[in-house]
Amino acid sequence: MSAAADIVRASLPRASWSWGAALVGICFVLACGAPLGVNGYGLYLLTLTGIFALVALGLNFLTGYAGQISLCHASFFGVGAYATAILTQKAGVPYLLALLSGALFTTAIGAIVAVPALRLRNIYLAIATLGFGVVLQKIIFEWRSLTGGGGGLALAAPSIAGHEVGATGLYYLTLAVMSAGLFGAWNVSRGRTGRALLVIKDSEIAAGSLGIHAARYKVTAFAISAFYAAIAGGLFAYLVRYINPESFGVGLSISFLSMVVIGGLGTIGGSIVGAAFYVIVPELLRGIKDAPGLVFGLLLVVVMVFMPQGLWGMMRRLGRGSVG
Amino acid sequence: MIANLVVGGLAAGCLYAMVGIAIVIVLNITDIANFAQGEMAMLATFFAYWLMDSLGLPWWQAVSIAIVFGLVEGIVIQQVVIRPLIGGPVLSAIIATLGLNVVLNSLAGMIWGHQTYTFPSPFAFSAPFVIGGVPIAVDSVVNIAVGLVIIIAMTLFLRFSWTGLGLRAASQNHTVARLMGVSITRTSAIAWGLGGLVGAVAGVLVAPSLFLDTNLMGALLIKAFAGGVLGGLNSLIGVFLGCLALGVTENLASAYVSPSFAEATTFIIIIAVLTVRPEGIFGRIRVRKA
Repeated sequence: MSAAADIVRASLPRASWSWGAALVGICFVLACGAPLGVNGYGLYLLTLTGIFALVALGLNFLTGYAGQISLCHASFFGVGAYATAILTQKAGVPYLLALLSGALFTTAIGAIVAVPALRLRNIYLAIATLGFGVVLQKIIFEWRSLTGGGGGLALAAPSIAGHEVGATGLYYLTLAVMSAGLFGAWNVSRGRTGRALLVIKDSEIAAGSLGIHAARYKVTAFAISAFYAAIAGGLFAYLVRYINPESFGVGLSISFLSMVVIGGLGTIGGSIVGAAFYVIVPELLRGIKDAPGLVFGLLLVVVMVFMPQGLWGMMRRLGRGSVG
Repeated sequence: MIANLVVGGLAAGCLYAMVGIAIVIVLNITDIANFAQGEMAMLATFFAYWLMDSLGLPWWQAVSIAIVFGLVEGIVIQQVVIRPLIGGPVLSAIIATLGLNVVLNSLAGMIWGHQTYTFPSPFAFSAPFVIGGVPIAVDSVVNIAVGLVIIIAMTLFLRFSWTGLGLRAASQNHTVARLMGVSITRTSAIAWGLGGLVGAVAGVLVAPSLFLDTNLMGALLIKAFAGGVLGGLNSLIGVFLGCLALGVTENLASAYVSPSFAEATTFIIIIAVLTVRPEGIFGRIRVRKA
């Protein structure tokens, strides 16, 4: 999103505001009621969508706003998952506290990764972050006494304040966390940090001459997006109840990046749409005999060729056409 | 011992370099990191296998046809998928190539299944060369030789032919190149064609040692990117040397550090190099004025 587009958005008539609020309200009510209407597997998919949307929100902050590519988000996701799992299972820390501490730990790692990444851009940054991803994944794999190595880690159902959290409970927890994440992302992106990052993306020299400390903001962006990924990882660990290092490889990082681009770079709604596309479309295609990969790949290509601004960008353009 | 490791690393590095050169030609002219490059090469290699296995063509003919197939494949993909994306956001185009990667992979899976095939090589059973007491397998020598031929041919082509000059102009500045009468769509198609061609050569040379299946090029693609970044993406020589260095480092790290940490060690070295030289060892730093 360029600054010009933001000005256009800011000057939109108030009517679209109430429309937007109504839309958000309807989505929220639907999301709250969803467990009544779907079976167990459907609920799993919805929870997974929420978890991936959380990662995409964080990554979009980094890629969409700050213009930095990251191919190590699967590892942040994995470190969050492992930290939460180990804290609850081996140290007996309560689930929510473990989730938060795991995420703070990963945030620190994210900030450390950001430091050597400061001077790099584009493919160079992609490969450096990919390298960090490989190293983190390897550490998880080789630290057998703590993580169980390649054998993975099986988890019991989590409990919050003495009550065991089932699938529905985890769904509502994810929904609550995602709503909080959404609100946080919305606030940060419209605030000082978000605006600073947009300038940095367009031109670091211009940002510098405006007194924006580019390095500090980039590290902040990395840290925030690592935090989102780690929280999502902690939820994911207890959604699937079995984690192993193989699940957090480069492929997943690339999927996260695709979600953000498919949904729409630099848009908050796009993160959710992109995550939903990635989780739900392959399920719908499962019926097609031996060609789900082919159709999904074709869809990726078609979406990018016809909607280079992503699904959300397309929807917004259509919506804007009908409103004003 | 060390000499063996170095030679093995050089041979592997040459294979990375071929994929790396294919990637870099496309990257420099269209700004698109082509994630489908590996699968394009895999498809061309399967085509060569099919020519030999079903039509009974001899190795040389099958491989030559497959290399031409790689060229045509590159041009067709550029025309159908990439051309509409020129001028749009670069990340969108990159994700499109990622989609293409999935498409080509499942296409090959549908045609040839997911089992592993043995790809023949005319050099497999020749006696190894011995240079200074170090035995060197013939296919290593072939890999290194072909890698050198490609890099020299590409450099000459880009430096001394009109088309090559157009490609270099387009890689520096699209607008100015256009003003001088260089067609961006045409140069982009040529770049994708060349990428497909070099990729096909790499695929045919890799297949005998890694065995042919639909995931033939997956690991190689990442290594090629990493080697290219290490050397510096804006010169062919840089990519070539970076990939060689990567191959040798990997071999030495797995022998002297630890086999299971070889990949991680290599990446730590790459990150360390990039913090000192953010555009790779041989890369020139582009001065940004905006």
